Amino acid sequence: MKIKFIFLLFIVFYLAIVVRLFFLQVIYAPSNKSSYLKTNKLYPVRGKIYDQKNQSLVLNQNSYQLYIEPKKVKDKEELLQLLSKSLEIEEASISAKLDMSKDWVAISGGLPQEQKDKIDRLKLKGIGFDYQTKRFYPEASLSAHLLGFLGKDNQGEDVGYLGLEGFYNRDLRGLPGFLETERDIIGRPILIGVQQRVEAENGRDLTLTIDKNIQEISKKRLLEGLDKYKAKKGCIITADPKTMAILSLICLPDYDLEKYYLFNENFYKNLAISDLYEPGSVFKPLIVAAALEEKKIKPNDIYNETGQVSVGEYNIKTWNDKYEGRISMTRILEKSSNVGMVYIGEKLGNKKIYNYLEKFGFGQNTNIDLEGEAGGYLKPKANWYPIDYATVTFGQGIAITPIQMIRAFASIINGGYLMKPYVVKKIISENKVTEIKPKIDRRVISQMTSDIIKKMLISTVENAEAKWDRPKGFSIGGKTGTAQVPIKGIYDTSKTIASFIGFAPAENPKFLTFVVLYEPQTSQWGSETAAPLFFEIVKDLIVYYGILPSQ
Amino acid sequence: MKNIFLKTTWLIITGLIVANLFVVISGIVISDEIDNFEQKTDKFHKINLTLEKEVANLGSLKFAQEQAKEFGFTNSTAPQYIDQLKYAHR
Repeated sequence: MKIKFIFLLFIVFYLAIVVRLFFLQVIYAPSNKSSYLKTNKLYPVRGKIYDQKNQSLVLNQNSYQLYIEPKKVKDKEELLQLLSKSLEIEEASISAKLDMSKDWVAISGGLPQEQKDKIDRLKLKGIGFDYQTKRFYPEASLSAHLLGFLGKDNQGEDVGYLGLEGFYNRDLRGLPGFLETERDIIGRPILIGVQQRVEAENGRDLTLTIDKNIQEISKKRLLEGLDKYKAKKGCIITADPKTMAILSLICLPDYDLEKYYLFNENFYKNLAISDLYEPGSVFKPLIVAAALEEKKIKPNDIYNETGQVSVGEYNIKTWNDKYEGRISMTRILEKSSNVGMVYIGEKLGNKKIYNYLEKFGFGQNTNIDLEGEAGGYLKPKANWYPIDYATVTFGQGIAITPIQMIRAFASIINGGYLMKPYVVKKIISENKVTEIKPKIDRRVISQMTSDIIKKMLISTVENAEAKWDRPKGFSIGGKTGTAQVPIKGIYDTSKTIASFIGFAPAENPKFLTFVVLYEPQTSQWGSETAAPLFFEIVKDLIVYYGILPSQ
Repeated sequence: MKNIFLKTTWLIITGLIVANLFVVISGIVISDEIDNFEQKTDKFHKINLTLEKEVANLGSLKFAQEQAKEFGFTNSTAPQYIDQLKYAHR
């Protein structure tokens, strides 16, 4: 009897277990699956960015998002008070986010390890941290416009905006993986259960052509220049003229990369690649090079500069309304004669002028590997009036970007090759290194023309009307520019864009630097603002590269 | 005959129970190890990022400037050959 009773009891227990398992595994199967089958997204590590000498410009760092589970909070007032103190956020701001009816509320993201540890020590109930990574900039905002920043998209996912972060977002972000694993009640993996892991593919690292030392030199000098000449804003671009590898690119004012959201969108604009402006006299060497190439002029040809020149109803004069009589083509560049340039333009012819503007890449994107480039505007040939052909010879009446200007200028001193400017020289993934080689877009002028124009540009620096504090013994070529700013179709005489573009050492240029200052107040002339700033940078670069004097 | 059959059955059942216990305990031990390694990997990843940050800070221009200031590198110790050519060729 006893044995039968025990047997029956076992049968009842056994049936109870079977019924319970049936309910758990069949009836409630989908809802219970999540309790033991854990699927995690494996986040890739975003690619890092290094300068040309493998010095870090952008890395990742540990960071945490603080959240509150309101239903677990015991003393709301105390929690708000302590968090406010630790996070340095107003109590009211935290309170506004804290919806007590919700299960989970995010309070603050991007907290560093030290701050997390500090809050942990408070042993507050109902709070927790989610691990994240965020960008870290060892050189702070040295290259804000160049690098761009990492923000969020509509789904809250990280996405790069502007500059390199924007252009190379797909390379930098990598591909997420996932981990699906059965876990026991305390979260340990169950070995005989489902174990599926697809590894995340980390983002690719970028090695740039940028030299952070030159970037630092440029930023320091530009800050001094803006202050000294009371300019509104400015840019300095330095490139290797043979390859158009960008060595530094800096525009001010810029913004704090870590706190980009505190800045107005206007600060995000990279003037060097997206600001259209009329270049002024720095444009003249391009037209002279075109005329030399077409054999319409020779450096020693003579032009009789007698006075103002009329084109239709307009009068064109030199910057100081002074005229030297018989002058050479080289002298036209040296004294930056507008009337002389109109003469060269006439010799070249309207059709050729337009053709060369296209050949030099104006009106087209340079396709530099930075997000946010504007292509400029070259109006259709049919809309050009005689005055347009006259003024374009001295850089007025055409809208270009600084990057287009430096690219075109590089082509006339590097043997005639119009190169594609680039910032990234290597893309490094886990198992492959992709090297980016300099790319020739087209040849614009011959080696001989390039040699001639280089000599003319050296002479332009040596015999310019303004006398600069140049480094002695070094041959430097270049050209000043002072462009008037059109406002609603009329040139505002009080506002100019002062610039200087130059290269050194002139025989075999190691660098080409373009300085642009917007609306300088101490003097409106490029020769008195941008040019001295350029020579300060040249002195620094000569020391940095260890270039010896040639003269 | 019946006795041998019973003994063999008990032996097999005991063997299966022992094997089962061994598998379960081994599974728990290995699961613990996996869990441990996962936590260590996460920890190393975080330490790695922290160290990388420290190394980057030591190689930064900001740190170099602080050091230069501390060791007394000033404008007076900057190269002179730009303005005085004779030094350039020595």
